[in-house]
Amino acid sequence: MFHPGGVHGARHIAQSLHHVKNAIRGTCSSKLLMQQKAAAAVAVESKKGTVTPPPTGPAPTAPAAPNSVEVYIDDKMVMVEPGTTVLQAAALAGVEIPRFCYHDRLSIAGNCRMCLVEVEKSVKPVASCAMPVMKGMRVKTNSPMTRKAREGVMEFLLMNHPLDCPICDQGGECDLQDQSMMFGSDRSRFTDIKFDGKRAVEDKNIGPLIKTIMNRCIHCTRCIRFGSEVAGVDDLGTTGRGNEMQVGTYVEKLFASELSGNVIDLCPVGALTSKPYAFTYRPWELRKHESVDVMDGLGSAILVNSRGGEIIRILPRVHEGINEEWISDKTRFVYDGLKRQRLTQPMLKNSQGLLEPVDWEDALSGIAARINRVPGQEMAALVGGLCDVEALTALKDLMNRLGCETLCTEESFPMNAAGTDLRSNYLLNTKITGVEEADLVLLIGTNIRFEAPVLNARIRKAYLHNNLRIASIGERVDLRYETDFLGDSVHVLAQLADGDHKYSEILSKAKKPMIIVGSSSLQHGDGTAVLANAIVLADSLRSKMSSNGDESDWKVLNVLHRHANQVGALDLGYKAGPSAIKQMQPKVLFMMGADDGVVQRRDLAGDAFVIYQGHHGDKGAEMADAVLPGAAYTEKYATYVNTEGRAQRGNVAVTPPGMAREDWKILRALSEFVRGSSVLPYDSLDEVRKRLAEIAPHLTRYGQVEDANYFRQSKDLVWNAARPGHSGQTLPAQQRELEDFYMTNTISRASRTMAKCVTAARHQKSTRYGL
Amino acid sequence: MSRLASSSSSLVSRVAGSGLTREVKPLVSTSKREARQRVLNLYRSWYRQMPYIMMDYYVPVSVADCRKRLKEVFAANRHLTDIRAIDMLVIKGQMELRETIEVWKQKTHFMMYFRDTVKQKPSEGFLSKFLDGKS
Repeated sequence: MFHPGGVHGARHIAQSLHHVKNAIRGTCSSKLLMQQKAAAAVAVESKKGTVTPPPTGPAPTAPAAPNSVEVYIDDKMVMVEPGTTVLQAAALAGVEIPRFCYHDRLSIAGNCRMCLVEVEKSVKPVASCAMPVMKGMRVKTNSPMTRKAREGVMEFLLMNHPLDCPICDQGGECDLQDQSMMFGSDRSRFTDIKFDGKRAVEDKNIGPLIKTIMNRCIHCTRCIRFGSEVAGVDDLGTTGRGNEMQVGTYVEKLFASELSGNVIDLCPVGALTSKPYAFTYRPWELRKHESVDVMDGLGSAILVNSRGGEIIRILPRVHEGINEEWISDKTRFVYDGLKRQRLTQPMLKNSQGLLEPVDWEDALSGIAARINRVPGQEMAALVGGLCDVEALTALKDLMNRLGCETLCTEESFPMNAAGTDLRSNYLLNTKITGVEEADLVLLIGTNIRFEAPVLNARIRKAYLHNNLRIASIGERVDLRYETDFLGDSVHVLAQLADGDHKYSEILSKAKKPMIIVGSSSLQHGDGTAVLANAIVLADSLRSKMSSNGDESDWKVLNVLHRHANQVGALDLGYKAGPSAIKQMQPKVLFMMGADDGVVQRRDLAGDAFVIYQGHHGDKGAEMADAVLPGAAYTEKYATYVNTEGRAQRGNVAVTPPGMAREDWKILRALSEFVRGSSVLPYDSLDEVRKRLAEIAPHLTRYGQVEDANYFRQSKDLVWNAARPGHSGQTLPAQQRELEDFYMTNTISRASRTMAKCVTAARHQKSTRYGL
Repeated sequence: MSRLASSSSSLVSRVAGSGLTREVKPLVSTSKREARQRVLNLYRSWYRQMPYIMMDYYVPVSVADCRKRLKEVFAANRHLTDIRAIDMLVIKGQMELRETIEVWKQKTHFMMYFRDTVKQKPSEGFLSKFLDGKS
């Protein structure tokens, strides 16, 4: 659970859990770690029971685990697990030791030497990030020896670090700057007596997102470790030794990862910076707004940086439940798409059939005149995946008042048996964090690497650290970890559901299995069969678990949505899929953010009037007779429900461009023009949210996951309805390769940065080094 | 005060209730026909001047709009029968025309002719704020 005020608390607990894993692992390789997995699991379990109150760490009197050892940090006693590092023990005691190479979520390298501390009875200072504690160890974090060691390290680092802070993009948020102020020497001994200058390193071109200035690199290797551990892309590495060491890609190639932008945040200096952000602003000049990402179904926590009505950059926020501290490249770099192809004025088609800008009053009265001529049964509404809950509520209220009940989402969902009536059918029930507990994940028809990159990183983390086993059904894709490939069609899934597949035994032995059904596979002709069989399989696994005496409420079935607010729309009672619209051939179609082109002109009545409300000129606006300019996700106070069923709030970072307005307000204003007593009963955001709470209270319980629990009933309905047949075709992955990742919605399609990424990924494929 | 011929009955106004008739001094026209001619002349001068007025003023209306409005303004007084009243309006109309042609008026003054064609916007409530872009 995430509260802005409690960040440190939550982070501490999760980190200390993670630390233990790292601690046990020490500096050994990840392969060795996997052999020690059992030991790690035990340690994690025991740690859970005794975790001490954050954020100041345990009081000396706190009940300690029987095998914990006492350590003295600056004469203050702390009880820690054996295997904890000195640096972590110091953190528990409230002392932060300076570091460059150490990072909570990466393995320990111990090569920057900045974290040297004096340990009593030790001749030399020790690197605290890599040194496990020993009983009775006395650590001095501020002794003359420690300070001298740090000063020396700083001096060596700065000897080869250029003095270009005034033109460095990292300026103001640079660890090297900050730490040289805190721990460095106050004078320089650097005299270039031989006039051979500082170390000079050629800059690398690693793609359109990351700018490298390799002179500034201090060889902390965080980026390399991120690439090989989190992203699973071993593109970065080092060449040479000592002063000749260089970080790079060996040959000039793209850092081909969907998470590559995170190395910008990881880099403690300005060696890796953001290309689109280069030379724009200093970090202290920017306004920061906490918000929620809408590029995928996870709803990652982001910090939108703006200045002068423009979004300058997007950074991740820490949210242990969703994105830890990573975000995908689409999330991070899509913001330039918010400045292009925008709808800024209301438009109506004139007598020549051309869209013509008009003012709001004319637009709304013109639309109302058309709506008023048509009975509610001949109207329909279609919404896209970027619409917020407030707007969806206003649209549904308005259409219902007009007598229209056909409100659909673009994304379809199988409607046989319980369909979307039971919430448990369409949620990621075990939550994102469930991946860390699971011991087997079955991926069905999803290229999770591109549909939810951050979740994939978590699966990869569990794969490395918990020995998570992953099986997959559907088109074969590269997820950057090993999977047991079971087959490419729903046929295999049906066999598994009936228990007569050779993998069934392995599945049934799993203690905490997770089935993740990708929503893209549900769009497929066999979608109904995919879901029905997944429900049956999940139920049989669940019943095996309880027959083995497992009384936990572990949920097996998960659906991974690709759109930010698909779950929100389904929660509000929107029908999934446009089939109802195609059947009825409506005379008036209200499209809100519907840009996937699933409904065409030919699906409507001949003289149908199409209204498009949204923020970008895309497929939706193209076929519209009236265009209402709405606000994008950074321009409105909006609620989104992620694929777990977690309602989250986005905040305004900039105002909508031109005459564009917040979406629910447009619908509220339109309601004054249309026939009868349709005026919507809310004038302010608070009143809208009150209405949300009336419909479904969880929509305003921000930050919390609302569980759903009707698995048994859902399975019974599937049984009673006779399992649907299937064609046995391959379940295609809609995003197959890296180039398919970048442009998936109307904002990213308008982004020039994303276009450059697609070009770079395609080019990379054509080179010898491939992807 | 010179007296007019009693034949011009139109210039005799009745004093209500008294049953008396009083002869008054004409402004310019002495007959209905003459007054009508003056009205038509004024209308024609405005009508012809419109394209030139549009050149002098940067206003969001077209010549056609202005001529339509001109007709409406004249038609609004078609019920008048009193020659003196008609004359007075013609004189005022000429003054207006001169002020317009000489650009003694400014854009806003010119647009005052269109004042009552402006649709009344809602002055309070959600909609007014929305249309003003204040919500």
